[in-house]
Amino acid sequence: MPENHSARRSEQSFAGGRHTLARLLSEYGILLAFLVLVVVLSFASEYFLRADNIINILRQTSINALLAIGMTFVILTGGIDLSVGSVLAFGGIVAASLASEAFGGGVVHPLVALAAGLGGGVLLGAINGLFIAKWRMPAFVVTLGMLSMGRGFTFIYSDGMPVPRIDERFLVIGQGTFLGIPFPVLILAFVFLVSWVILYKTRYGRYVYAVGGNEKSAQVSGVNTRWIIFSVYAISGFCAALAGIILTARTTAGLPQAGQAYELDAIAAVVIGGTSLSGGRGTLTGTLIGALLIGVIGNGLDLLGVSSYYQQVIKGAIIIVAVLLDSFRKRD
Amino acid sequence: MKKILTMGLASLATALILPFAPGGPRAEADEPYKIGAAVYGLKAEYMRLWTTALERHPDVVSGMVDVTVFDGRYDASVQQSQFETMATQGFDGIIFVPIDIEAGAAAVATASMRDIPVVGSNTRVNSNQLASYVGSNDVKSGRMEAESVLECMDGEGNVVIIEGPIGQSAQIERRKGNLEALEQYPAVEILEMKTANWSRAEALALMENWLSAYPDQIDGVIGQNDEMALGAIQAIEQAGLDVEDFCIAGIDGVTDAMLAVKEDKMVSILQDATAQAQGALDVLMARIVGPDYQPKATVWEEIPFDGGSEAVYNVPWVPITEQNVDALLEEREKLTTR
Amino acid sequence: MEIRDLTKRFPGVLALDAVNLCLERGSVHAICGENGAGKSTLMNLLMGIDSRDRGEILIDGRPVQFVNPKQALAAGISIIEQELNPVPEMTVAENMFLGRESTRFGLWVDARAAQEKARQILASLGIELNPRLKMKELSLAQIQLVEIGKALSYDSEILIMDEPTSAIAEKDADRLLDLVKSLRDQGKGILYVSHRMNEIFRVADTITVFRDGRCVSTQLASETNRPEVVSLMIGRKLEDEYTKNNRIQPEVALSVRGLSRGDDFHDISLEVHAGEIYGIFGLMGSGRSEFFDALFGVEPADEGEICLFGDRCEHRRPKDAMANGMALVTEDRKKSGLVLSSSVRDNVALPNLRQLSCGPLILEGREKDAVQRITDRFRLKTPSLRQIVSRLSGGNQQKVVLAKWLLRSPRILLLDEPTRGIDIGAKGEIYSFMSEYANEGHAILLISSELPEIIAMSDRILVFSNGRAVGECSQAEARQEELLRLASLSVHEGEVLHA
Repeated sequence: MPENHSARRSEQSFAGGRHTLARLLSEYGILLAFLVLVVVLSFASEYFLRADNIINILRQTSINALLAIGMTFVILTGGIDLSVGSVLAFGGIVAASLASEAFGGGVVHPLVALAAGLGGGVLLGAINGLFIAKWRMPAFVVTLGMLSMGRGFTFIYSDGMPVPRIDERFLVIGQGTFLGIPFPVLILAFVFLVSWVILYKTRYGRYVYAVGGNEKSAQVSGVNTRWIIFSVYAISGFCAALAGIILTARTTAGLPQAGQAYELDAIAAVVIGGTSLSGGRGTLTGTLIGALLIGVIGNGLDLLGVSSYYQQVIKGAIIIVAVLLDSFRKRD
Repeated sequence: MKKILTMGLASLATALILPFAPGGPRAEADEPYKIGAAVYGLKAEYMRLWTTALERHPDVVSGMVDVTVFDGRYDASVQQSQFETMATQGFDGIIFVPIDIEAGAAAVATASMRDIPVVGSNTRVNSNQLASYVGSNDVKSGRMEAESVLECMDGEGNVVIIEGPIGQSAQIERRKGNLEALEQYPAVEILEMKTANWSRAEALALMENWLSAYPDQIDGVIGQNDEMALGAIQAIEQAGLDVEDFCIAGIDGVTDAMLAVKEDKMVSILQDATAQAQGALDVLMARIVGPDYQPKATVWEEIPFDGGSEAVYNVPWVPITEQNVDALLEEREKLTTR
Repeated sequence: MEIRDLTKRFPGVLALDAVNLCLERGSVHAICGENGAGKSTLMNLLMGIDSRDRGEILIDGRPVQFVNPKQALAAGISIIEQELNPVPEMTVAENMFLGRESTRFGLWVDARAAQEKARQILASLGIELNPRLKMKELSLAQIQLVEIGKALSYDSEILIMDEPTSAIAEKDADRLLDLVKSLRDQGKGILYVSHRMNEIFRVADTITVFRDGRCVSTQLASETNRPEVVSLMIGRKLEDEYTKNNRIQPEVALSVRGLSRGDDFHDISLEVHAGEIYGIFGLMGSGRSEFFDALFGVEPADEGEICLFGDRCEHRRPKDAMANGMALVTEDRKKSGLVLSSSVRDNVALPNLRQLSCGPLILEGREKDAVQRITDRFRLKTPSLRQIVSRLSGGNQQKVVLAKWLLRSPRILLLDEPTRGIDIGAKGEIYSFMSEYANEGHAILLISSELPEIIAMSDRILVFSNGRAVGECSQAEARQEELLRLASLSVHEGEVLHA
């Protein structure tokens, strides 16, 4: 009898232990995968952990991470924004044209160009939001339309030509550093921090989660759900335009074909970060880790001289595993 | 700016309406010749220049030829259906810039079934039904750019090669040229060879990573186009290194690259969009009108026209140097302002 | 069927502890217990959804081990679940035969045969329902009946019914109970899970009470009585199910005159005093919930006026109603009451964030105190305020909904089916809360389909039928039969169930 009893207990504790492991994996799996990858790469390449390479990774990740932050707001409400790549190009080209001596009128102050580029992005995002929130159209369809229209506007505006010879002061946005940290990274850090405060410390953030979790319930609780849905697309447009401006300043030219298919990486970062595509669940920190994971894979495989084809396979596999973990979390 | 926008809208409207305009066999001889230009895509600067040059051809300006540009949107099947449209509308001839060397043969066959002559330009197509081809030899440009980098390195050191999308004919041929040149220099080692898909942003990230992986080891950068070479320059500058210490080359001669040549940051080889576009139209017109046709393109001052009867016309590459860059930029300025 | 020593452990809880149970052919075996007593776990083990840790299940003396519901169905066990899972875009017949469509030559689906079969099964239940209707066009009660038809269509020997009447009105429930009896007489074994004592005593031959994962008693229905079963369930003696000692004050809290909206309801007028509990009784689709929506501004009325404490109010949005001191506990807590994926704290704070923040920023300390205070008042059982509400039991979820609105201290509280699908213990707490709250001088409007509940709790009762108020009576005058008769008046032709 006593043996029997102890056998039962060990069985129970085993079952309990397995459960905890599963929960740990689903809660922190991506962070864990990220850390494992970092450790492996730091052994595989002596250059991986060097300061300048880490700065490289952060700088390269900043564009996608900015898109993904905006995308997180949208996906948390249960929507999707497929137009970010086109809005990125539009915002970038508008800002570039105003800061370039080669295009149109005279050069305005770079801050004006910056504001105009951001305004362009917010405008396109707001058009998305208007159709989705006010006229209740599916986000997938509206932003798919904007994916095409936004690119079209960009080509019409620039006549299909890149915008070269941009004001040096404008280029600082992409190329300047402060205490050795590149501006794009500082901008990302700032945007992340502000977004984090908005999502977790303000009413607005709570409303975003509530709308995504149960729109009807949020409405009955007195939340202006249409305004929330409208505004997340404007936020996504803002983030996309900001990313476009940084890309422009980094490549020293406004490129109308910039940002094609970037929406896929942005959505991937959000999903890898554990945000549920049905809305209401997910974290901003997860998104940042997701974006960094994608960035580190790209950087690591370049350092090791592995073909970019493998990179795509690995990224795809991680997305699927991330969604798998999410489904475990749901079942819990 | 407003002007550019309206012009853009107007050209968009033209592109939208013209393919659907009613057409038919040409009744009178003094009506303009209807020529279609099927290009793989209008998103890259080079194809914009090519199209503008075509529209500036003296015969088009004089109204003798009516040109419609079809944007293939980087899709072989789109180009195929555009050929079908042109065939039903009774176009007199077609200039064809295919997305890929292997992907255009069916389109050419569609046109030749209706006895519409097709002249290739810029990118070759694997079809024996092509009337003629006016373009530049990509193997040659690949060899030229690699040679200029290797000479600049004094024949020793390490290079990296940034390639175009793997499998596209321009990438295949330029790589062939790159490697031919490198064979002549056994003391030079290729550290890395990887694609950045013709994109400046992708090349920028790639070069940043290589600079981390091979600190102080890279001496030369061979970019298979200018955009990617420009991306590499950005990476070098942002890593706090001196571009003067690197030998960098690209191909195409886009405006930004010309400016970089002027600042002595890189070498570029101009692919002559004007010569390719206007030369192709001349060859096509010679096929339609007959031997009486007088070619108008300036390229025929350098290579023989031969009544437009040759199967292949190789438009020479123009290395951009500090000496000719100002003149080329001025010419470019003319082509981009409308 | 016999169950021996069945045990299942989930992390942290022993969900089922050595349960023994015996179900005979031609009998109804009722299982009752509060939420979390282990009833659902037992169902899941029987249907092969979860795997058991120990024990065995025997059917006709042979041990069986199912790994999925399909195997259980094949062995003759089918289940009617509490949570309905219809495919809204498919027809009644398609839903009934989902996953086992009869085909012609093994190729295309034979829709006609399925429809005919569905019609027959529904007719045997005494329901006339067009099998070609889409599920989304049906009322909740009709959906429930289709689910029962679906379970019957398997020709199972053993039927498990999990709270089959929780979503339907009293009258339909009667029909269902008759059906259960006739199935028993056909020799089937039925496992009947319910909270409703009167139902259990009407149909059950044997009653088993579960508490904390254990089987605390199994008795013949004829040898026990209602109070005994209830006290076994909650583990203590229940004094009285309903508590009510509110005092009505002369002041009129809410007065509604001539409120109408489209086809939903017409010309509704009523007056509710401070301290009063005002009941609204009506069948599904009688316009009662729509009326609440209009009062609260979820979907504003077309005409008529609403006065709160003498002041005329215009409620275009819930925000307006909230500002005027109104709160609405909606009919369906999962659909419109809670954000299931969020925590207890976030749910309770949601309608109160304006009061709990400074500018756009939430004051987390103040928020935590307020949420803690109000959830303590309702004796909410949750491991922490960070708990995701979808993991709470039904009764506790309902407490979260009440807590989130009560934190605002509303002057007028609209309760739409506040006790649906929750256990007796929690019900009692909600009743005593209602009485207490009304006594503080607040007005409560209560919608309920449960006649004993509405009669016991309301000072006056207004009866809705087909979008109109057809009668009002005081608590003293109210009789179940009379209310039902009023509610069934002038039901329009399309309503199949009550024709």
